[in-house]
Amino acid sequence: MKNRKSNIFRWVVFIIVAFIINFPVISTISASLKSAAEISRSPGLFVSEPTLQNFAVILEVTERLNIFAYLQNSLMASLIGSILPIMLCFPLSYAVARRGYGTNVIFPTVVNLRAMPLIIFAIPLYMMYQTLGLLDTPLGLGLVLAVVNLPLALLLLVNAINDVPYELDEAARMDGARIFTILIKIVFPICLPALATVFIFSFITAWNEFLFGLMLTTTKAVPMTVGASFFFSSGGGGVQWGVAAAVIVVASLPPVVLGILMYKHISRSMTAGAVKG
Amino acid sequence: MTTRQENRILAAPVVLFLLAMLGFPTIIDIIYSLSEVSFENLRSPSFNGGQNFVTVFNDAEFWSASWFSLKFGVTTAFAECALGLILAVYLAPIIRNNNWMIAVLIMPMIIAPVMMGLMYRLVLHEFVGSLPHYLYTWFNWSPAFLSRENVFLTVFTIETLQWTPFAFLLFYMAYQAIPSDMREAAAVDGTRPWRMFWYIELPQMAPTIAVGFFIRFIDGFRVFDNIFVLTGSGAGGSTTSLSIYIYLSFFRSGDIGKALAASVVLFCVAFVILFFAGRFLRRKRA
Repeated sequence: MKNRKSNIFRWVVFIIVAFIINFPVISTISASLKSAAEISRSPGLFVSEPTLQNFAVILEVTERLNIFAYLQNSLMASLIGSILPIMLCFPLSYAVARRGYGTNVIFPTVVNLRAMPLIIFAIPLYMMYQTLGLLDTPLGLGLVLAVVNLPLALLLLVNAINDVPYELDEAARMDGARIFTILIKIVFPICLPALATVFIFSFITAWNEFLFGLMLTTTKAVPMTVGASFFFSSGGGGVQWGVAAAVIVVASLPPVVLGILMYKHISRSMTAGAVKG
Repeated sequence: MTTRQENRILAAPVVLFLLAMLGFPTIIDIIYSLSEVSFENLRSPSFNGGQNFVTVFNDAEFWSASWFSLKFGVTTAFAECALGLILAVYLAPIIRNNNWMIAVLIMPMIIAPVMMGLMYRLVLHEFVGSLPHYLYTWFNWSPAFLSRENVFLTVFTIETLQWTPFAFLLFYMAYQAIPSDMREAAAVDGTRPWRMFWYIELPQMAPTIAVGFFIRFIDGFRVFDNIFVLTGSGAGGSTTSLSIYIYLSFFRSGDIGKALAASVVLFCVAFVILFFAGRFLRRKRA
């Protein structure tokens, strides 16, 4: 009896906390469904005359704002920024997991990058990109996002390979298989579920990145996060709050959908870095 | 092929990539921070000793930005870890059978910090924001959230509300990982819940709490996105973090030498902190 009562308290606490931390999300969704008149008349959460007008507005391409381009740039850069770290880290993580190679220098250096304020590299990268013609390209942005995702990718891949039974690749080795054959034919397929988690997690991180998008792109390769902030700088007239809210909803949708579908895996990888690192 | 050669080849992709993407920029950081440089003579900087560093260290804004970052990092990390720990332990009995609750609670950290910042611009807006609206309706009062006096508390709250879920998740996992026979043994001895938490569960979770605090401190210290879109460097520069300071020195003032000198200083500080934190955590584990 006492137990049931205290569990009701727990549910109450859960609902209150969930409401508070998600309040801006709820409020933004509600604003995105209101007409401009309704927003200024009743700014509360309740929507009396829901409309999709705001979403229709953001889909219109203007000279200044093009949401399709932002989405496409984000997609390109995020794909590079999440696939490249896996390809780069996969061989190294085998050497680290199986042979303890690089555990003194390379492994801790890469993992510690997670804690480096990356802005210290932003300005020299800007200059470097200017020389190489990578400024304002999805490829350039993607390469930096790959750096951002490298630490966690390495850490999770090392964990994944540690879970692969040692006998499997040892047997192949005995049969005279070469290291790259073992990696591609044996270890890679077994690690696929782990690789998928790393990919999804890296993709979300890359999609949500803002600082490098702001610094390294100007017009052609602007990602969604930066593009969304353009809707808040009014081009003549005030900010259209309903439209701005709709942009936030669209921009946040991909990571949120991925996050809800994959929350179990994501919560594990989010914390893996902390528990082992 | 010997194993040693093989290992080198396996490590080569990451090493070469990092040398190109970070090693080269580090060299530029160091050379240019010691040079007289502007957008006109980018290719041919002229050495000027530590002049840029003198400028940075004499810049009151640099010190106020450092102080802001430090204060922001420590206070948010502390608040997030404290709230996260309370939530994790208190809600654990009902989450165990309802895993979906985790998805609801970690929603804020799946959303981009910059989007959170933009959302709060709407939510806190004097005329169209829902929060001032409700405060006016119920209490006939609403503070100026982004005024000079209140802005720190506002950005502190925003950061804490977004990242408490991270601490919660981390600590919940650690709490679940405590071996159940430890709890059972204590229960057989008639240990009360509060003592159980204090003497058995908390020490078990201590290493995770230390790591969680460190990660949140680092992320708070280098904060950029949400503050940048919420206040700019606004409210009289009172919310300029070190990241924002470097960004503004470069892009608004075009003061490349100063921005790079500040980057190098930040690099050194981060390196020292990481070095000692790593040693501390390793010793704790051993």
